[in-house]
Amino acid sequence: MSLRYLKFILPLLLVIAIDLLFQFGVWESIASPNSHAGMSIVKKRALLDSGMTHIDFVTLGSSRPVYGIDHALLANAAITHGKVHANVSVAGMHWMSLGIITDWLTAHHPEIQGGVIALSVHDFLGPGNGAYEIGIAFPFRDFDEISWMSEHVAFDRQEPATYSLYSGLFEYREDIRDLLQHPIQRARLLRYFHSLSATHVLQTNTDETADICRLQLHHRTDCTRASTLDAAAEEKFKSQCALLPSASAVRADFRPLLAGATAPPAYLQKAHDLIQAQLRRIPWKTPPIIVLMPMHSIWMDDALPQAAHEWTLAILKPLQDEGKIRVLDYTNLFNGPDGTDCSAFFDIYHNNVSGRNRLMQLLMPEINNLLYADSASPSAQPIEK
Amino acid sequence: MLFNSLHFVIFFLIVLALNQCLRPFTTLQKSMLLLASYYFYGQWHWEYLLLIWFSTIVDYLIGLQLPRSTNPKRLVIISVIVNLGFLGIFKYANWLIASLNGSAAALGASWYITPIDLLLPVGISFYTFQSLSYTIDVYRGVLQPRRKLLDYALAVSFFPQLEAGPIVRAREFFIELDGPKNVGMVDVQRALVLIAFGFVKKMVFADSLAGYVDPVFDHPETAHFWDTLLGIYAFAFQIYCDFSGYTDIAIGCALLLGIRFPQNFNYPYIAESLQDFWRRWHMTLSRWLRDYLYIALGGNRLGEARTLANLMITMLLGGLWHGASWNFVIWGGLHGSYLVFERVVLQRLPFWQSAALSMHALRWLLTFHLVCFAWIFFRAKTLAASTAVIGNLLYGITNAVQDFSRDHHLGLALLLAGLILTQFIGGYGHIKQRLSEDRGGWFIVAMTLILLMLILFTPGKNIPFIYFQF
Repeated sequence: MSLRYLKFILPLLLVIAIDLLFQFGVWESIASPNSHAGMSIVKKRALLDSGMTHIDFVTLGSSRPVYGIDHALLANAAITHGKVHANVSVAGMHWMSLGIITDWLTAHHPEIQGGVIALSVHDFLGPGNGAYEIGIAFPFRDFDEISWMSEHVAFDRQEPATYSLYSGLFEYREDIRDLLQHPIQRARLLRYFHSLSATHVLQTNTDETADICRLQLHHRTDCTRASTLDAAAEEKFKSQCALLPSASAVRADFRPLLAGATAPPAYLQKAHDLIQAQLRRIPWKTPPIIVLMPMHSIWMDDALPQAAHEWTLAILKPLQDEGKIRVLDYTNLFNGPDGTDCSAFFDIYHNNVSGRNRLMQLLMPEINNLLYADSASPSAQPIEK
Repeated sequence: MLFNSLHFVIFFLIVLALNQCLRPFTTLQKSMLLLASYYFYGQWHWEYLLLIWFSTIVDYLIGLQLPRSTNPKRLVIISVIVNLGFLGIFKYANWLIASLNGSAAALGASWYITPIDLLLPVGISFYTFQSLSYTIDVYRGVLQPRRKLLDYALAVSFFPQLEAGPIVRAREFFIELDGPKNVGMVDVQRALVLIAFGFVKKMVFADSLAGYVDPVFDHPETAHFWDTLLGIYAFAFQIYCDFSGYTDIAIGCALLLGIRFPQNFNYPYIAESLQDFWRRWHMTLSRWLRDYLYIALGGNRLGEARTLANLMITMLLGGLWHGASWNFVIWGGLHGSYLVFERVVLQRLPFWQSAALSMHALRWLLTFHLVCFAWIFFRAKTLAASTAVIGNLLYGITNAVQDFSRDHHLGLALLLAGLILTQFIGGYGHIKQRLSEDRGGWFIVAMTLILLMLILFTPGKNIPFIYFQF
C-alpha cells in the first residue's frame, strides 16, 4: 500500500502503538503516586525491588487495612519467625483488583505462602468498586484478564473511565492532564516516592491520630450536620456523607433472601459467586485469613442493608467449611449498645492509630497462630470479636 | 443526533457507504440522502419533521409558480410569512408574551397571557433562512425554480448543515448537487483535516472551556476580577471553537458525500476591524443578512444616513435571529454601533489606517476587546447577569493584583494565550490548507496528535453544540 493510502491509516496505527506502550507500562515511571494506578505502581515497584526477592506473606485490602492494620508489627512478627510479610493493600482495592494482584503475585512471587485479606462487610455487597478500581488493577493486569475485570466493573460506553479496561491512554489520561497542569509538583512527588525503599513502602504504617468524637455521629443524618461544623470537617466528610443513603431512603433488607424466601438480585448473586470463586482459586499454601475490619455503627445500623453482616458471613461460611479460608470477624469490635467508640475512628470508614492498636491486640495472636503455628486448624470457626 | 456522539459516527459511516454504492443511481442516491437527513433530524423530535416538510412543500410550490405568476411579489410575501411565521411562533412568541406580561405588570395592569408550551425546533433559524433564500432568488430571477421536489427537499434538509449551518443558499447547493460528485483522495484528506479540527475544537477546547465559563456567567456573584476577565476571553474561544468546530465537521462530512459547502469561519479573532470580523465570523449568515436584508433595505445606495441605519437594523435583526432575548438585541445593537462608529469615525482617521506594526496591534486589540465585550450580553442569560459580570470587571479591578491566583488563573491564561496564537498561526500560516495538501509526513503527525488529544483531553461527556439553541 502506498503512502497515498497508508497516511489515512497510519495515525490510527500510531495511536494504537502508543496505547500499547502505555499498556506495557511506559508511563509508570512518571505516573502520579497519588493516583489509583500510581499507588499500585509504587507497590509494584517495591514488590519487584531486589531487596524483596522473597516474600512469605502479604496483606491485601483497601484503605481500611491501609490505616487499620499495623503493617510494621506484622513485618516484625514475620522477621522473628524468619519470614517476610509485605503490605500490598491499596486504597480502593476491591474484588477485581484483589484478584488481579493475587494473580500477579502468583506469577512474580510464587514463593508467597499465605496472607491476610482485610475486608469489610461493605465489600460483599457488589462485584466491583466502580471504574476507578480499574486503575488499581491496571499496572498488575495481563491482557487475558480483561474479561475477568469487566465481570466486576463492566464497560460502559457513557463512562470514559471504563474505557481503560482496554486502553492505556484512557487509563492515564487524567494523570497526563495533571502532569501538564502541575509539572513541578509532580517532579517533587516522584522524587520523594522514588527515594522510598521497598521495605518502607511494604512494611510501614500510615498513621492517622485524629478521632471523630467531636462530630457526635450516631445516625446517617448526623453526617451531613457534622460536615458543616467547620472547614476541616467539610473537607473530610462532605464526600463521605454523600455516599451514605439519604435520610428518606429505606434500607434494603437481606433477611428474606438469607432465609431463602426470596432470590438475591442479580448483582448480589454475581457478587456472591465471584467472591467465592475468587477466594477458592487463591493458590497459597496457607489458607488466606479473611479479616473483617471494624465498621462504624452508622453503616451497620443505619446505612447498609439489614443483615448485610449475615450476608457476608453466608458467603464466607462455605469456603471456611471447605478449609479454603479462615475468617476473623471484627466488624463490631468498636460497636456497643450506645453506638460506636468514636475514639477508634478518624472518619466514618477508617480506624485511627488508637483503633488500630486495639485491633492488633486481638488480631496479632490469631495471626501468629494461623500463619506461624504448625498446628493451625484448617477448619477454624469464625471468631466474632 | 450530535456530531460528537457514537450514534452519529455509525450513522455517517453507513450513509457514506450507501452514498458510494449508489453513485451510479443519482435519484436513489439523493433519496437515500434525504431519508438519512430526515432520520438524522427525527432523532431529535419526529414531530418537528412536519415543520420542515410543510416549509419545503410551500416554498417548492411557490418557487414553481413564481415565474408564471402575474403577482410574484405576493407569492414571495407568502413564503416570507410562512417561514418567518414558524420562526415567530416557535422562537419569539414566548419572548413577546413575556415582554408584554412584564410591561403589563410594570404598568399595574391585571392581565396576563399564558406562555405557549412549545419546544424550539433545532435548526429552525437555519433551514428557514435557507428556504427563504430559494424563493427570493427565484423571485429575483437569479435562480430557476427546481422542478424536482426531491432536489429541493434535499437542499432544505441535507443533514450536515441542517441543525446549525453553514447557511447554504439553494443555488449553491444545486450547483453541487448537479455537478460531478466525485470524491478524490485530495477531498478525503481535506475532509478528514476539517473533521479532525472540528472535533478537537469542540470536544477538547470548547467543552473544556465551558467549565471555566459557566460559573462566571451563571453565578457572577461568586466570581472575582480574574475569573470574570478570563471567563469572558474563555467564552470568546468557547463559542468560536464550538460553532466553527461544528461547521468544520459539517463541511468535512458534506465533502465526503461529494457536496462542497462554503467556508463559515476564517480565524475571526485576528480581525483588525469589526467589518473584518464579520467577514470572518459566521460568514454564511453575514452573507445572507447582507444579500437578503441589508441590500433589500437599500444597502449603501441611499446615502450615508440610510446606510448607517441599514447597518444598525441588519445587526439588530441579526442579533435577534440568534435568540429571543433582549440580550441578543443588545449584542446585535453593540455590533451595529461598532460598525457605525468604525464607518463614521475610525475609517476617516488617517493614523488609524497606518500600516505600522503598532497600529496593527492596536486595531487588533481594540477589535478583539469590543467583540469580547459584546459576548458578555450574548452569553449571560439575563440583563441583570450581564451587568453583574461587567460590575465584577469594574469593581474588581481595584483588587486585581491580590486576586490573581497562580493555581486558578495562570493555566487558563496560558491556554487562552495559546488559543490566540493559534488564530494567528492558523490564519496567516494556512495550516488547514497545508495539511489538506500535505503528501504524507505532516498530515500523519497532525492526525496522530489530534487523535491523542481527543483521547486525552476531552471532558468525557457529550455536550450539545451551543448554536443548536438558535
